[in-house]
Formats: sequence, structure tokens, C-alpha cells
Amino acid sequence: MLARLSIIIAGCLGVAMNAVAADPLPVTLVVKPLLCVIDKNETACTITFDVRWKSVLAAEYCLNDSTRPTPLRCWPRADSGEHSQERVVSEEFVFWLSPATGTERVAEAKIEVLRVGSDDRRRERRARHVWDVL
Amino acid sequence: MKILRFQHLLIMSAMCLWTQMVAAQDAPAASGTAAEEPATTAPATNPPAPRPLPEEKNWRFGVALGFGERTNPLIQSEDIPVLVDLDIAWFGERWFFDNFDLGYELVDSQNFTTNIVARVNSDRAFFGKTNAKYINFSYLGGGALGPAVDPGTGELVEQPLKFKPPKRDYAVEAGFEMLMDGEWGMAALRAFHDVSGTHGGYELSADYGFRWIRGRFSIAPSVGVSYKDAALSDYYWGVHEDEATFLLPAYDVEGGFGWEAGLRTSYYLTRSLRLAVSANYERLPHSVSKSPLVEDEEVLGYFAGFAWQF
Repeated sequence: MLARLSIIIAGCLGVAMNAVAADPLPVTLVVKPLLCVIDKNETACTITFDVRWKSVLAAEYCLNDSTRPTPLRCWPRADSGEHSQERVVSEEFVFWLSPATGTERVAEAKIEVLRVGSDDRRRERRARHVWDVL
Repeated sequence: MKILRFQHLLIMSAMCLWTQMVAAQDAPAASGTAAEEPATTAPATNPPAPRPLPEEKNWRFGVALGFGERTNPLIQSEDIPVLVDLDIAWFGERWFFDNFDLGYELVDSQNFTTNIVARVNSDRAFFGKTNAKYINFSYLGGGALGPAVDPGTGELVEQPLKFKPPKRDYAVEAGFEMLMDGEWGMAALRAFHDVSGTHGGYELSADYGFRWIRGRFSIAPSVGVSYKDAALSDYYWGVHEDEATFLLPAYDVEGGFGWEAGLRTSYYLTRSLRLAVSANYERLPHSVSKSPLVEDEEVLGYFAGFAWQF
């Protein structure tokens, strides 16, 4: 028991140390949330996305998404930025950060869509028994 | 009546807390930097017309791993651990296999679906975790301790008696189900009769459930009521004449109503993985709960773990 616990603690410490030792990425993009969950009677979900980015080097960056041909927002020379936007989501798409003068994606985040339930009404109507977990 | 154990109450409380925490976590994020940098963003747009979804696979397979338990109302039995739950289903043009229910669709309309289904009776599950016990009997009379007398045979009970709940077989039942759904939720009416010659009885049931999704959190309460006739109830929960002993008096179970309620919650971490917490309660029919084979009039279950949908 003690040995097993020691292994788990050592494993966790190892993961934590690796996280500390790893080189920071040049640009990080964090988007919350990353998942849109849609019930079977709905066609879309309304989400307020919280987008934050950080860069080791200050530069001009633009935030893009795959549903628009033009950038959502551009920042003048900066090493970090935040953006909040409410959107109606019905399909998967990608946020990405690019230099203001180029198309290269320096960081990206995919927004996924999960439709709960089945389009086959026979399956959807056949709910599992109250005892079942899933 | 057995009072709910502290362990169960603790899990119920944790579930309520979990529900509140998750609901709070999914509240819309606050706009952070609008004041410091002028936004050059487009407002919320109308959703594009959804593309037709890819055709669903015939198979559905899911697995949940975690910890849970289902209490066992049977005397001298152990609670049933729930560490893994599988969801295996196949739906063809009309035939389907849904977690050991084998069915054939008779009618599928906008308002309801009617199937003919064969299934395995669920009462038998409690008889798989029984224990044998050796019991000593003695009689105190005239200030002296002596062997007890079996009132059935009149013989002295001098040796410890081995006692184990009687065995029961699985029953295959066939019947009809009518399933309905809408914005109001889902409902099912079912009627099943034994076709395996095990108990020769029938069961009627009605269930209602609802699913509510907010953000990544899903909650699905359900309730159900069932009537099990005397033949079915007595086969599983009665003490038959050939089983009656000094320890276990004969008992006939009558048909009766029982009910159940459940709550299933999920927090979706990714498209395939979610945290799943569920709890359920079943009240046995009155006549069943009075059987010498039964020590609890209720069955309580819970589970918490991770679920993966393939």
C-alpha cells in the first residue's frame, strides 16, 4: 500500500518537474471553453469565449477564426492579449493567432461540438434503465 | 426499515455539491479587457444552417470506470459493487440489440415507437451475491440451556445449521414497449411476460425521464413505476413450501407496485470523455418487502467515474 502510494506521488512529482523544466512555448493561446454541447432539440449553443494569449517576444498579432476571412482582432506590438466574445456555435471551428503581416498560425485552439443524443429517434427514445450508469 | 447509511448520504451530498459547482463553472465568462483595448470584433452572429450530420454508426459502445455500489435487499447477501458499466448496442433497419435487450421495431412514427423485445429479468441480479452462514440454536428453559426443537420436524437442533438464501434462475421475458419523446422528455410503457417457464408471471411498467443541458453539464432525472404480478414476485422473493425450514418460514408474495427514481449527471470534458455521477433509488413492492428473504424495503445505488463513448 505504502509502496503504491510512493510510486503515485513520485509519478506526480515527475510530471510536475517536467512541466517546470520544459521550455516555454514562444506563443500560447488559451481559449475557454473548448467544447459546445448541443441537445438533440437544439441546433446551436451560445458561448462566451474567453481568449487569452501570451508571447515571449512582443509583436503584432492577430486573432483569427476559421469561420471568417478577416481577423477578429489585431493587437499593436504586445506580448499578451485578451479577448472575450459571445458566439452562436453550431459547427467545429478553430481560433488561431498569426503575425499581423503573415498567415502563419503561431498558436491555435479547436472548438469542438458535441451533439448529445441520437438522430435516430428509436435509439433516442430507448433510454437506459434507471440503474444504468451510462 | 433500514436507515440510509452514512456513506450513502455522503455520496448524495457530494453529488449535490458537484451539481452546483459545475453549474457555476459553466456560467458565461466575464468580458475581460474591453476597457483597456478597443474591441474590433464582430458581434454574435446567427448560427449558419447546420450541415447534414454524418450517418450514425450501427454500433454504439461506451464504457464507464469508477466506483459505485448497489445495495442488496436480500438477506445474507453482499451489496453489488459497480466498478465498470458497459453500454453496448447495435441498431439495424428494424432489429436491434440494446444492452442485452433484443428487439424488433414494429412501428416507428413521429409520435411513438413500438417494439417487440426479449430481455432478461433483473430481479435475479440480487441472488448472485449470497453468503452461507452457520447458525447455532439453543433453548433457554428452567434456568438451563438446551438444544432447540425444530417446530417442523419435532427433532432437536443440536448441530449448527447451514443457512443460505435459496437459488433463483434467470428468466427470459418477452413483451412490447411503446416509447415516446418530445420537448417534454421521454416516456416508455412496457408489458413483459416470462417465456422461459421460470416464473410464469408478468410485469407492467411506465417510465418518464428528462434531460437538461446547460453548458457542458447534463442532468437527467427519471422516475418509474412497475407492477409485478404474484407469480413473478413469489418466484423470486417468496419462500416456497419446499424451501421452508425452521429458519425460513414459508411465505407467499402477492403482486404489487414498486417505484424507482434516478438521477444521472455528466460533465463533458471532451467529445468522448465525461465525468459521470449517478444515483438511484428503488422501493420494493410492499408484499416483497415483508418477505423473510428481504431485509431492506429499498435499493439504493450510486456511481461516480469517467465515461468514454467510442
